[in-house]
Amino acid sequence: MNTIPEYMTAKHRECDDVFSEAESAVAQQNWPLALEKWQCFAQELNQHFNQEEDILFPKFEQATGMIAGPTQVMRMEHQQMRALVQELDNALAAKVKDEYLGLSETLMVMMQQHNMKEEMMLYPMMAEHVSDGNKIVDAFKSVS
Amino acid sequence: MNSSGLSFNALPPIDLPFRFFISAPLFVLLSASLIFYSGESLWLSRWQPSMLALTHGFTLGFITMVMMGALLQLLPVIGGIGIAKPRLIASSCHALLVVGTLSLIANFLWPSTMLFFLSVFLLSVCFLLYIGAVAWVLVKKLGQGSAITGLRLSIFSLFLVVIIGLVLLSRTQLWFLGDDFSLLVVSKQLTNIHAILGLFGWAGLLIIAVSFQVIPMFHVAPSFPSNITCSIPVAIFTCLVVSYFQERIALNLLVFLHAIFALSLLWVIKKRKRKIPDTSIQYWQLSALSLLVLTVLYYIPNDYLSKAILQRKTLLLISLFIYFYLFSVIQGMLLKILPFLSYTHLQQRCLTDFSAMKYIPHMHEFLNKKHGQWLFYLHVFSGGSMLITIMKPSTFWLFSLLLFIEFLWLLFIMINTVSLYFTVDKRLNVLLPINPNR
Repeated sequence: MNTIPEYMTAKHRECDDVFSEAESAVAQQNWPLALEKWQCFAQELNQHFNQEEDILFPKFEQATGMIAGPTQVMRMEHQQMRALVQELDNALAAKVKDEYLGLSETLMVMMQQHNMKEEMMLYPMMAEHVSDGNKIVDAFKSVS
Repeated sequence: MNSSGLSFNALPPIDLPFRFFISAPLFVLLSASLIFYSGESLWLSRWQPSMLALTHGFTLGFITMVMMGALLQLLPVIGGIGIAKPRLIASSCHALLVVGTLSLIANFLWPSTMLFFLSVFLLSVCFLLYIGAVAWVLVKKLGQGSAITGLRLSIFSLFLVVIIGLVLLSRTQLWFLGDDFSLLVVSKQLTNIHAILGLFGWAGLLIIAVSFQVIPMFHVAPSFPSNITCSIPVAIFTCLVVSYFQERIALNLLVFLHAIFALSLLWVIKKRKRKIPDTSIQYWQLSALSLLVLTVLYYIPNDYLSKAILQRKTLLLISLFIYFYLFSVIQGMLLKILPFLSYTHLQQRCLTDFSAMKYIPHMHEFLNKKHGQWLFYLHVFSGGSMLITIMKPSTFWLFSLLLFIEFLWLLFIMINTVSLYFTVDKRLNVLLPINPNR
């Protein structure tokens, strides 16, 4: 798990796991567990977005010269997902099960569509163009 | 990997996929009327003109209609770019497919030179345009993985289906004009290949390729085993090619490969971590189980089958594949695509002001989960009545009625989603500054 595609894809899966645990807890109205899992997910997601926006995307843009291309769209989708996460925070705080599950379904589909673009195209392109990929992954591992 | 032209954001305008989706149940409603008015005679053989009309109402009017609309949305996600000139291509193809399919159905029921030329012309232009536009995306080496391979093979199969379909249509016309018997014999062999390519190639390969990608991701399940994702699409396509020379051997292998797919699909679903109730999952399970039932029915030696079943075996197998496998998967996918497209298009409007997002309904508000569940039950009942009708044609009215109710319900679900989309869209027009790029 030393390349950018391997590491970042594995992180997507970890986020998905915690996300579905939070969702199951909400479905069973186990609110303390839901909050614990949700916070864990939100933290993982935020760290993942930050690693992409602060390190990976700039490296990719620098290497390819593609500044207004895919990375810009990915940043925009991060913003959309952050806004949804905020709405889910509110639904969880208010303990409104149906609202939470409707929003979580929405975030899930949006997140997976986003992940598909990254895993099938952007990450392989990064592996191709970003020369010090393994070092970057090692640095990510040391903080996670 | 070729990255030129990569946009990731080529989301087609929402009315383009939606016009395909909304037209699709209308064709099934038309087919239900055809079943009702044709009566018992429709079920005598698959070669009945009314049965050919019904088959094309289902396959072109519903399956192909939805798949062509869904591909517009899928391509930017798995290929990185959408088709060129989406409005021109998609709206032309939609209009051509609607009128072309209607002419084809009419030509089966009331053969005439005018209807023949009309359907040949409209459907040829439709598929030429569409396949050309999609191939333009797929020839670029953008995305990676088995989904792209499957998609490419599926589109190539569609190309072959169309070519053979046009040849068949021409032969049918010659036959109606009084051609000799040998042409008809060749037509039967070609018809089988046309059907095999359409069902296993165009529709089947696309569904398999998409399922490899979406089921593990949307349901937090393990990936399909890599030996299956790598080998099944290529093996299926090889069998399709072989079917031209050795139809029986190719069919044996195609059914076997689909059984492997069905078993791996059930395994992946069983291992999923996201276990909240989801009608789409029930649709996937139904489709996998249907493939397994189909496999058993296909491989049971004829000596063990009753005469009644034996006489209708081919019709039963085709019905299981089209109605219980393809229709089920497509309905399950529509339950996800319709609300998500509505949501994501409206959310894109809020990029300049995220506070407006609170006015956008979430996916379950766009498509009520209970409505999706009722659709599933209706599908199971109408499917059951279809099998009964195949065995006992006098119950055709029941199948026709249940089919009509089910697809009227699907149409209602779609209209509900679309009207909520436009209501919120109008609200956002008031709240947000006008975006010049819209």
